[in-house]
Amino acid sequence: MATDTEPVDRSRRFYDDGFSIGRFEITPEDFWGWLTILPVLLLYTLVALIPIAFAIAASVHRVPLLNPTWDFVGVENYANVFQLDRFWGSMWRGFVFMVGSTVIQLTVGVWMALVLNKITRGSRILSTLVFTSYLIPTIIVTMMFLFMLDPYDGVLHAAGARFGLWEGYLLGNTQLSMTAVVIISSWKFSAFVTLFTLAQLQSIPDRFYEAAKVCGATTWEMFRDITLPRIYGALLVVIFLRGVFMFNKYDIIWQLTQGGPGSQTTTMPILAYRETFERGAYGMGNAIAVVMFLALLVSGLVYLKYLNPSQEVET
Amino acid sequence: MSAETEPDDPEFGRTFRVSHTYRSLLYRAGLYGSIATLFVILGFPIYWMAQNAFKTRLAIQEGITFFPTPETFTVNHFDIVFNPTVGRYLLNSVIVTIGVVVTVTVVSLIAGYGLARFNYKHKVKTARFLLVGYMFSPIVLAIPLYLIWDTLGLLNRYVGLILALSALSMPFAVWLMWKYIQTIPASMEESAWVAGAPRWRGFVDVIVPQTKPAMIANSVFAFAIAWGDFTFSYILMPSNESTTFPPGIFRLFHSSWETGWAEFMAVSLLVSLPALLFAFFLQSYLLQGFKIRAL
Repeated sequence: MATDTEPVDRSRRFYDDGFSIGRFEITPEDFWGWLTILPVLLLYTLVALIPIAFAIAASVHRVPLLNPTWDFVGVENYANVFQLDRFWGSMWRGFVFMVGSTVIQLTVGVWMALVLNKITRGSRILSTLVFTSYLIPTIIVTMMFLFMLDPYDGVLHAAGARFGLWEGYLLGNTQLSMTAVVIISSWKFSAFVTLFTLAQLQSIPDRFYEAAKVCGATTWEMFRDITLPRIYGALLVVIFLRGVFMFNKYDIIWQLTQGGPGSQTTTMPILAYRETFERGAYGMGNAIAVVMFLALLVSGLVYLKYLNPSQEVET
Repeated sequence: MSAETEPDDPEFGRTFRVSHTYRSLLYRAGLYGSIATLFVILGFPIYWMAQNAFKTRLAIQEGITFFPTPETFTVNHFDIVFNPTVGRYLLNSVIVTIGVVVTVTVVSLIAGYGLARFNYKHKVKTARFLLVGYMFSPIVLAIPLYLIWDTLGLLNRYVGLILALSALSMPFAVWLMWKYIQTIPASMEESAWVAGAPRWRGFVDVIVPQTKPAMIANSVFAFAIAWGDFTFSYILMPSNESTTFPPGIFRLFHSSWETGWAEFMAVSLLVSLPALLFAFFLQSYLLQGFKIRAL
């Protein structure tokens, strides 16, 4: 502690010895420790805790967006939310989007990580591409793909038409638009899985593989018995994070299709946005946001309880 | 793992397997095939954006070509940056990004130091609580924040967006800094104290210079969140004057018939340039960051 080396000429200040408020003893460690974390906690309170409390409050009121007068309506908003056909449809589509894109990202992401871990030449360029797809703004990804799928000038559109994969504008196709959105968002977000897994792969000591090779193990056996158990915990964490992020994903879907055609790609976040800002039903939008948050919280807790990846997250 | 040093003759326990030569061949084919496929999948969209940014509008409309020829080559599309609207979006994005990067780096450095070096009550619980931040989704927070910011007068203000985005990148930044400072031996700081330095100087002169890799990783991740953010900015910066690049260009794309694909690709290339540079030069720092995130 700093007190060990305190010069004699300096007068002792209250935080060097600690102080007490009523029955609460506050040691210097507590004082300084809490002071350092305070800005983060304040930020959290302002941007996360207050809004969530506010959303819960707004969800039991009828609040027209343009003229925010609060009319208490009790659980009416929630009752309406659950009666909306749109709601259950969006719930289902959100689920499809979440599971589909998480599965693709996991497969492609782990594949990329394994390749990057083994590659000897050109690894810097390949990993630059991987990092770029992670760091590049979502809107750029959207612009690239909208251009490539453009019915007049798009290269992917031409290729798709040539091979008869789809007809017309892909993102306006009622059957294929969801698949297209899932694949495009996987292009952007697979890199997260890759980097997460790669970091774990690189921490496996080489001697494990050397020992296995001496015993005559094949590449597949080494993967199954050394690599997989070592990255299993990280994979559970990454599935959790990707699932949460994809369930909440608003920007890429909105940029690509605005929830269309019809409501083919309207997931929960899109529905919440539309109810709030297009239909002007602020209370309703907040009710959807609260339902989303609770659904996520409950499924997150269940996931963490049963699969328990926490050994990996713990300090 | 390359297996070429392995003896080829069958030993005991290996009789039923495909011979080593074929296995090795298959493995190599798989590896190089994968590398080629990944190069194409990851590189093609970026290549396509880049090459079309340098083509005339007419050349893009006339059909698909893989390189700009001397006749169709042009750099005029980059003038879109000087268009007052797009220039404004870019300026706003730069201001917000700098604000977020500075806030996140400084606040996470202080909080990380506190977590690593002070033993205060409920420390670990507090850190765990920060991880709940992963569950916050921009859209769930932005809808209530819209009216809150409206009441506080923060709507359309840089400060409002900077605060919101900083909170979003905070949990990871604090954890990274905490874990990183733990790897710096406490004795280094103690020797500074013995030499008569107060705690503050020890922190500034001993700890801060050593956290450079973690600070770089934090800045780049904060940059990625701020530079790429769409949802918060779309909702919290509704006016065309104050909005950042992603929502701005999105609106322009849906409202303007005068701007062609070539211009959009040109400005997209410019905006993705910092990401490309960071990816190339700072990748080891970023991977280090992910290593700690995966702990």
